[in-house]
Amino acid sequence: MTDMSAVEPAAAAAADGKFNAADSIIGHVANTGFDHPIIHLGTYFGINFDVTKHVFMVWMVAALVFVSVTLMVRRYLAQSRLVPTGGMNALEAGVEFVRDSIVLPNVGQKWVMTWTPLMLTFFLFILVANAVGLIPIFDMLALLDKYVLHTSDHSFLKSLLHGGSTATANFNVTAALATITFFAVIIAGSWANGFIQHWKNLVPHGLALPLYFLLVPLELIGMLVRPFALTMRLAANMAGGHIAILAILSFVFIFTELTTSTLVGAGIGFGFSLPLAVAISGLEIIVVLVQAYVFTLLSAVFIGMAIHAHH
Amino acid sequence: METLVAVDPGLYFWTTFTFLALVWLLKKFAWGPLLQALEERRATIEKSVEDAKKATAELQRVQEESARLLSEARTEAAGIVTRSRADADRFREEMRKKATEDAQVIVKNAEKEIQLETARAVAQLRTEAVDLSVSIASKLLRKNISAADNDALIQDAIGQFKRVQ
Repeated sequence: MTDMSAVEPAAAAAADGKFNAADSIIGHVANTGFDHPIIHLGTYFGINFDVTKHVFMVWMVAALVFVSVTLMVRRYLAQSRLVPTGGMNALEAGVEFVRDSIVLPNVGQKWVMTWTPLMLTFFLFILVANAVGLIPIFDMLALLDKYVLHTSDHSFLKSLLHGGSTATANFNVTAALATITFFAVIIAGSWANGFIQHWKNLVPHGLALPLYFLLVPLELIGMLVRPFALTMRLAANMAGGHIAILAILSFVFIFTELTTSTLVGAGIGFGFSLPLAVAISGLEIIVVLVQAYVFTLLSAVFIGMAIHAHH
Repeated sequence: METLVAVDPGLYFWTTFTFLALVWLLKKFAWGPLLQALEERRATIEKSVEDAKKATAELQRVQEESARLLSEARTEAAGIVTRSRADADRFREEMRKKATEDAQVIVKNAEKEIQLETARAVAQLRTEAVDLSVSIASKLLRKNISAADNDALIQDAIGQFKRVQ
């Protein structure tokens, strides 16, 4: 996605033959439309279950996380002495970081083993989904297809090339993750304090009755706003970084068309767009980590609040 | 055409389903066993550290105990030596005193015996001297003198003898 030539197919595809920055950027960030899904599954109960690019990315990330983590952990546990080596060092440090710095301070010692697996999965899934979006895999595949493979228009490879590869930049994906947090909070609160008590804990006890007319709706809204904020924060951050990089790279083509000079376009590209895009990509690496951390931390905080309700 | 923000229930469903499946699978095959193993390792390390601490404390205790025993043994040995020396001195003193006393008794006995022997010898000598004097006197006089004279002579001779003695 950070590759300059990646913008080229979209530019060529523009109806009037001119470069359309908005279409090009959206084409590289948004999901594929249902007009050309990767696998057609059909519509049931009014829901289109077609496997689009982002569904594919969610599957790919899940498979990648599951296979690599399970392989590493199984190999590690098969040893007679539990001394981590190689990638397991990083994984173990990550696991202990999530457990001791994110989950434990929020949910407490009693519930740490219950909620750590979910938080670890949140962290790794979001991290890998974010990170995969930074690597221009599909742009490279597009180049390979265009100049080497020359597959047909309906090939599986071609269908993979449409749409953005960052699933976490899609609000539907982050909304699904936030919904899991939403229900995890209710389950955690009900498990720790009882179902009725969990809902009672939403508002403080012993206030004047009229205050409850104000507080109950406020707390209910707050309950819904939290996952909404999780949804927006993650998706907007991931989409934003990619849009910024693509916008900066679009200057190359905009200036080429404006001045009708390839030289000017190349100059803008190498003198301005490329360094800035590289810098923003560097920043994105941090954003990728921070957003995975923030989503996991806030989920743990919300779950912890439900468990230790001090109203 | 793709749009940046589109409601997509299918994607929402697939993400939820995929993620929950991933959570379940990872919990079963990776996180569960891993967290368990980490917990066990933590417990093992904690126990090892605790054991090491205990062993160090035990070692120190044993060292202190042995030092205490050693110093006690030294004190006792010194006491024994001192006592033995005192005993030996006392014994020697007693022996010396006893020997002195024995010697004194022996000397006293000897003196007493000497006195007795002397007295006996003197008495014997006296008797023999009287007899001899009587016989000498009889021979010299060759005459019967009255019993009174005889007695007076005897007394006189004894008196002379006593003086001689």
